[in-house]
Amino acid sequence: MNPNWAEENIQVIRTLMERSTVYRRALAPVMTATGIIGIAAATLTCFVKIETAPSFGLFWIGVAAIALVVSFLFVRRQALKSDEPFWSSPTRRVTQALLPGFFIGFVAGVLCVTRFAPEGVWMLPLIWAFAYGCAIHAAGFFMPRGMKLFGWSLIALAAISLFGIQSLPDLQTAETAHYLMGTFFGILHLAYGVYLHSSEKGEHDP
Amino acid sequence: MNHEAFQNLDKVIHEKGRMAIMSLLAVTSEISFTDMRNDLGMTDGNLTTHIKHLQKAGYVGVTKSFRGKRPLTTLSLTTDGRTAFTTYIDTLEQIVQSARSGN
Repeated sequence: MNPNWAEENIQVIRTLMERSTVYRRALAPVMTATGIIGIAAATLTCFVKIETAPSFGLFWIGVAAIALVVSFLFVRRQALKSDEPFWSSPTRRVTQALLPGFFIGFVAGVLCVTRFAPEGVWMLPLIWAFAYGCAIHAAGFFMPRGMKLFGWSLIALAAISLFGIQSLPDLQTAETAHYLMGTFFGILHLAYGVYLHSSEKGEHDP
Repeated sequence: MNHEAFQNLDKVIHEKGRMAIMSLLAVTSEISFTDMRNDLGMTDGNLTTHIKHLQKAGYVGVTKSFRGKRPLTTLSLTTDGRTAFTTYIDTLEQIVQSARSGN
């Protein structure tokens, strides 16, 4: 009898346990696409004036909706490609972990559209970054490779920006808010996506 | 190869399908029959047979309830099941170790 069978069995058990707990689907393309969409949207605001609280809130909620749809399509495509159910246990767990943070972000966005004074717009990206960072950190418990650290990075950067901008009234503008959005949801996502792509490539190399 | 360890392997778990079921249950507090079937790519009949085996051994608990008007079968690992699965993995590791050391 081949003595390797025991090792193979352990490997099968490990793989099954990981597959049912850790969400691995399409993380790199989702992060990269979100980053590109974020940067493109922030660049667009250099040419199109979006300065009032309602237009700012609606514009970025729209951008988030586009990023969500694109992410959904990537996840669905990989599920079909791998012949796996889309709504698998790990997908469900990650979605449940993300929802509270996303809900807070959505409520803040609605408040911005309906209640914020123009001079308060700069705070919305920070609220979104805090809420999104918490959501990503929670999802990180079911995801591999640095997801929790990515959540913490967003929270830490938002905190630093909050203290910085709070003490510099000149920066409390809609323009700053767009730059913050481009940084948090564009550059950071793109950087993490590139990191995931490069590390995945390394994992597959012989 | 460690023949004594091999003899100690739990024969209920030492089957591809049942080992997969136990592996999945070990990391989830509970899982529905449908999710288990989809995750493992088994047929209803195949999964039912394996679950019955594991249930008979006292390793798996089966709860029947309703979600709305639809019946819901939920599976979970019993304390005996968790102990047996841990022992099974320990025994496998023991076999691997002894194979490596050439015993």
